[in-house]
Amino acid sequence: MNFETVPLPIPGPMVKVRMIWVRSLIALGLLALAHSTIAQNYQGKELVHATLLADTSAIVPGKPFTAGVLLRVAPGWHTYWKYSGDAGLPTEIKWNLPPGWKVGEIQWPIPLKTNDPGDIQTYGYQDELLLMQEITPPSKIDISPVKLSAQVDWLVCERICIPGNAKLELELPTSTTAEPKNSELFARYRRLVPQNFPDGKTATVNWTRTGNDLLLKITSDQIANYQNIDFFPAPQGNETVVGHPTVTSRSANQVTFKIPIESPDKNVSALPGVIVFSKSPNGNDRTGWELAAEQAAATSNQIAQPSRSLATFLLFGFIGGFILNLMPCVLPVISLKIFGFIKQAGQSRARIFRSGVAFTAGIFVWFMALAILLVALKGAGRDVTWGGFQFTNAYFVLALSVIVLIFALNLFGVFEISLPQSLQRGMLASGDRTDDFGSFFQGVFATVLATPCTAPFLGTALGFAFSQSAVVILAMFAAVAAGMSAPYLLLSAQPAWMRFLPQPGPWMVHVKQFMGFLLIATLLFLLYVLGAQRGLDGAIWASCFLLIVAIACWMKGAFILPTTSGAKRAVVVLLMLLLLLGSGVYFIGDKFQSSKIDIAETSASSGGWQSFTPERLQTERDAGHAVFVDFTAAWCLTCKFNEKAVLETSDVRDAFQRHAVVKLKADWTNGDPQITKLLQQFGRPGVPLYVLYPGKSHEPIVFPELLTKSILLDKLETITVASR
Amino acid sequence: MKTKLIALSSIIAAAVYAADVPPVGSAAPDFSLKDTKGQTHSLSQHKGKYVVLEWFNPECPFVKKHYGSDNMQKLQKEFTGKGVVWLTIDSSSEGAEGYLTADAANKIMSQWKTNMTALLLDPDGVAGKAYGAKNTPDMIVINPEGKIVYEGAIDSKASPNPADIPASTNYVKAALDESLAGKPVSNAQTKPYGCSVKYKSS
Repeated sequence: MNFETVPLPIPGPMVKVRMIWVRSLIALGLLALAHSTIAQNYQGKELVHATLLADTSAIVPGKPFTAGVLLRVAPGWHTYWKYSGDAGLPTEIKWNLPPGWKVGEIQWPIPLKTNDPGDIQTYGYQDELLLMQEITPPSKIDISPVKLSAQVDWLVCERICIPGNAKLELELPTSTTAEPKNSELFARYRRLVPQNFPDGKTATVNWTRTGNDLLLKITSDQIANYQNIDFFPAPQGNETVVGHPTVTSRSANQVTFKIPIESPDKNVSALPGVIVFSKSPNGNDRTGWELAAEQAAATSNQIAQPSRSLATFLLFGFIGGFILNLMPCVLPVISLKIFGFIKQAGQSRARIFRSGVAFTAGIFVWFMALAILLVALKGAGRDVTWGGFQFTNAYFVLALSVIVLIFALNLFGVFEISLPQSLQRGMLASGDRTDDFGSFFQGVFATVLATPCTAPFLGTALGFAFSQSAVVILAMFAAVAAGMSAPYLLLSAQPAWMRFLPQPGPWMVHVKQFMGFLLIATLLFLLYVLGAQRGLDGAIWASCFLLIVAIACWMKGAFILPTTSGAKRAVVVLLMLLLLLGSGVYFIGDKFQSSKIDIAETSASSGGWQSFTPERLQTERDAGHAVFVDFTAAWCLTCKFNEKAVLETSDVRDAFQRHAVVKLKADWTNGDPQITKLLQQFGRPGVPLYVLYPGKSHEPIVFPELLTKSILLDKLETITVASR
Repeated sequence: MKTKLIALSSIIAAAVYAADVPPVGSAAPDFSLKDTKGQTHSLSQHKGKYVVLEWFNPECPFVKKHYGSDNMQKLQKEFTGKGVVWLTIDSSSEGAEGYLTADAANKIMSQWKTNMTALLLDPDGVAGKAYGAKNTPDMIVINPEGKIVYEGAIDSKASPNPADIPASTNYVKAALDESLAGKPVSNAQTKPYGCSVKYKSS
């Protein structure tokens, strides 16, 4: 036993001679009461001396007082806390009180934490201990004195353990007034009893569960005042097996504990316990906050409630929306829009602003439509994730391909987009309305392309939004839309800044055509996605349909001119529709529809990557292997970029190999629901997501969405020592 | 500074790793220990049979609770009779409470009329640490495929008092009964109770 000696004030040295006990008790003024004390002896040595006492000289009817069981233990021996840890047994007190009397819970002082060989951690007390309980007498008492009795059972251990018990009695007179008794003793132990957990202004609690670990995050300014902070768990019942809590991170006002739950099938989301503060471990100055069972349960309901406020998340949404503009999938549209601004540079200020507003409106309309759809789907109880119900759907990708192609052909000058004249006239006579409509449509288009890119901020913001009410989801999407459109709106409202843009001229046509090629590049990417979803056949059939779409566009550009007669116009339009309908039914409705891809074919087994399944992950982790999971999808450009720039570089590959990390690829191209579930567990609405599971009982490490080599290599170094 | 932090966290992580208890459902670590007759037993040699591991310390009041009341002996007799291999393991280090030489162990076995298949001596704590055994008694049930199907306490009432035995649920009996009947174990993991295993300080 290597208990650190804690200098609790003890009157006189601890010796086994009974006489000295008596003297010290007299010194404490204890013998003045009619209590009984009982000693437990072992091999001629007194191990435990138990005494029952109260903090009052008399019982006043109806007035609560505190009774305490004082256990004095021979040096080197100890008794246990309410949760004894890996071994031992808590002390039990059973009261025998007359009817109408009430007794409160034991007020356990903060225990000492001990480590023994074999990684055995226990919580207990040495030398002396007072276990206090509040006793409430009835408002009418007929007898005096009153005899209170309690049966106390304890386990006292040194290297060996001896159970002990005592039936203790305490006689107190009944009176209308009472003097405090044993004040010093009771005061000393009251200081050691943990306080109730403070209100939300002083400290907040946040529980999360990651795999088999509970994470407890305490945020409070008090944390800075103590060198040593610990969490003593107090699980109830014997079905929750708790490992040893450790501090995983600590800052000036925040500390995070990891508490392994070794009975993983039990659905534990929070634990009662005590947060312990002291200058040094087991320091005599230790104070604590009680995390009661109700409180642990109450806070656990708020797991989804992050400590950051709604406003912060809306700000993140705004910033995320802004950053969306820089994502590879939106860049082609940016070019479009910037090109638009250049074109507009010569126009009137009001007109430019109107175009900016129209573009913004396009972005907003799309985002709001998405938000409403999400709210509706969420209400219908479907698994909804960002991008998941879009890009995992082959028809969505196909539709997007058609739109991109039409835009590209338009940029090449194959045809001009113009609304039917009647509609145009109906909308308003002035011709620039078409312009506004174009801007609006561009806004919608930019946003559609942006969906698969979960930019770093956006990921957090949307992850937050998905667990929220409809209003919050709408607000969040509005924030993202605002962020995304802000630069355009600013530019159009401040045309002064557009002075830096070049003057319009014939070069514009060339730029326009060049932009067309960028869109064709985008189209290639979309076809690649279709290929990943529907195989080579699917991509080819889709391309056939796209060819017909292109021909239809050409027909429009070549044969429908403003001067074309109504009859000819009707014939051409009819032909176009027939072509589109016929090819649509044949290529898409039949061929594309039936193109399927063999799942085994998609599983990426190249470069040491293996297909992810939840069972696979579990097996590898059980076997003690470190596992890295790449959550990816064919349509996710950020994923592809990370794979090329980081994961498949030779030094990273070597590092994985050197550390014997099992590499799993979770392919979300078709929206595998098992992967969706895991993404949601990590609070992510979509891919990319990179997670490293260092070893069995270690917390998984989640990497940022924009992966860098250095951060990955760093983390690989830290975990590997642990998993060996 | 960074390297120091990394080194420190690795040490902490390594310490935590060392304490890992193989979870229920995982493969039971193999071991090879001598019994009180000098015979070597390994887990792998009992593959194909249910195996019970029981951590033992004759000085521990919780162990005495179950042997003094004949509870453990009855359990051992019932299940060894049904073909279950029952290995009792003493992981007390030399000089510590509960450490047994082969002779002393044989004496206790005959005095206590024990019915385990064998009592294995593990003074270096190798098997104990492999299973993360922290208590005496600490009970583990392994199925014929070598997977752990139960780990934890012997019964539901954590006390050293033999009078509590009749009113408690015996988890080991329940786990074995269910397993032998081809059913999954309904209570596969509980918090063990008892004395700490007296491991050698490292």
